[in-house]
Amino acid sequence: MASEQPGFWARVQRASVERLHIRLESLVVLLALSTAMALLSPYFLSLSNFLNILLATSTIGVLAIAATFVIGSGGLDLSLGSVMGLAGVAGAFVAVNLGWPSVLTVIACILAGGIAGYINGQLVTRAFVPAFIVTLGMLGLARGLALVISQGRAIYGLPPETVYIGQGRPFGIPMPVIIFVVTAIVAHAVLAYTRFGRHTLALGDSEGAARAAGIRVEHHRRIIYTLSGALAGLAGLLFTARVNAGDPTAGINYELTAITAAIIGGTNLFGGRASILGTMIGALIMGVLQNGLTLLAVQSYYQQMAIGAVLILAVFIDQYQVRKESRV
Amino acid sequence: MISRFLKINRFTLAVGVALAFSAVGAKAEDGEYGVLMKTLANPFWGAMAQGVADGAKEAGVKYFQQAAESDQAAEPQLNLCNTMLERKPVAMITAAINSTNLLPCLKSAQDAGIKIVDLDNNLDQAVLDKEGVKVTFHIGSDNIAAGAQGAEYLANKLGKDAKGPVLVIEGLSGNITGEKRAKGFADKLKELAPGLEIVASLPGDWDRGKAASIATDTLTAHPDLVAIFCANDGMALGAVESVYAAGKGPQVTIIGVDGNVDAVKSIKEGRLNASVAQLPYLVGKQAVENVKKALAGEKVEESIAVPTLVLTKDVIDAGKEPMLQYVK
Repeated sequence: MASEQPGFWARVQRASVERLHIRLESLVVLLALSTAMALLSPYFLSLSNFLNILLATSTIGVLAIAATFVIGSGGLDLSLGSVMGLAGVAGAFVAVNLGWPSVLTVIACILAGGIAGYINGQLVTRAFVPAFIVTLGMLGLARGLALVISQGRAIYGLPPETVYIGQGRPFGIPMPVIIFVVTAIVAHAVLAYTRFGRHTLALGDSEGAARAAGIRVEHHRRIIYTLSGALAGLAGLLFTARVNAGDPTAGINYELTAITAAIIGGTNLFGGRASILGTMIGALIMGVLQNGLTLLAVQSYYQQMAIGAVLILAVFIDQYQVRKESRV
Repeated sequence: MISRFLKINRFTLAVGVALAFSAVGAKAEDGEYGVLMKTLANPFWGAMAQGVADGAKEAGVKYFQQAAESDQAAEPQLNLCNTMLERKPVAMITAAINSTNLLPCLKSAQDAGIKIVDLDNNLDQAVLDKEGVKVTFHIGSDNIAAGAQGAEYLANKLGKDAKGPVLVIEGLSGNITGEKRAKGFADKLKELAPGLEIVASLPGDWDRGKAASIATDTLTAHPDLVAIFCANDGMALGAVESVYAAGKGPQVTIIGVDGNVDAVKSIKEGRLNASVAQLPYLVGKQAVENVKKALAGEKVEESIAVPTLVLTKDVIDAGKEPMLQYVK
């Protein structure tokens, strides 16, 4: 086998896996889905709709980046959506109730998220509480705190500079899309090409081996959870700026959608294998599905079913590939 | 070499496919109305959707409808709204989840010359003015009046000198509809029967289960509870179950708002005492009729209040009230 030239498909696949760290199947699914939507709805293929899809994907996309790092390292963060809500409320509180300048809104959002993430990391690595429980607890804690700070109601009326982060359109491109794409590119580079990224995946592959290789496992984990929280904070900022209100109910169940995007994109739920580009494709598959079905005036209940079906299908294809590879 | 060529080509292909389809071009159907609801999981919105459907049929207009997956999916609803604009409707009839989440989309709609209708008074005029969004008309029930009618019913039933603790279960925190109903009830009750003291006013988040728990807890603290006013029927029905489970069925008067099918059934069975029917069916129907008028250049009132009706076993059994035909 080894002396033979690999087939065409195998070579394309290997190139995509090696260079871009993605599973080609997910890209094929995305293209097929887009083609189908374009054929079914005359409204689908337009620049403004393309930007719509990216805009709708941006908050979830940023959370999905966080999920990819955490899951890739063999962890789990169920608090993403709640932390996002808390961060948005913290930012709006600073801007509206305290009247502080806009730049502090940005810092407050990311800091609030980062602190929540740091606490998650400390509890996971020092208190030996499983990540599932720690972040499930943080899910409730962060949501509750968001409701306390905001007195249960949205804090409306941010300064124009902050609103610009969510609603501005330099060169006609929505700001959240720009922030999302830049974040994704940086995250992809970090995960795929830096030592930090390699260590993250090594941790997810085998914590024991990573430790034996001299990686400061606990320290690294804390950084990843803090990063995850900070990214949730960034998502909170995007959301808050977009709707011009710190909404304590923002991001309910978003963590599940973010994790779904990562899994569809080929991230191994048990760690060791992850790619930001793959996750972005996963997020876009869901975005295209939702957008296309909305354009076709299909009810949202069916949209949720479709996304569930795609998730199962994606993992099925993934497992099928893994098994095929292990047989060779 | 071939593989390198093909690698580049994957993306060229994707772009090519996209370009090919963009040539198809979008053609808007004439005069289509976009209808954006909250979740249809609530019979209230179901009845309104029915009213929209019947109204559109009678008026001979085309419409397409979408709904968010839950009462709290503020950002997903905004995404839906943006996507719906791609179909280039002539009017957007919207029931926003809160007073701010749809604003960016409504601004775009306004810029595109699309008429905006506020279904069920979810938009706040002060916020709209601040954002420079002009709504063609608001249509819905007067929620303060609905709450007040609930208080009138209670004062009539128990007498003006009645004494005892009363529980109010509010809607989702920050939701203006629930707030108005609760406030309308509290203010009127104070005026009509000051002996009836509101001992707790808690958010039930429009959730049947949560309302049931609140009712149980309050009964523990106040075993002599005389009445419960809930900001919607779903929560009232939850409270009814708790009250009967506690063996205090006839002692506690329970009032809901909406007049939905489940509530009517419960009233007929003698469990729920009353529901202030909002006649959502009529709201949906009149919304479509008035949009058609506005599009034809006729003058339409800026705020259209659809009447409410207190449903009790007597009213339903007698069947003489002409508005009963709109209770769906």
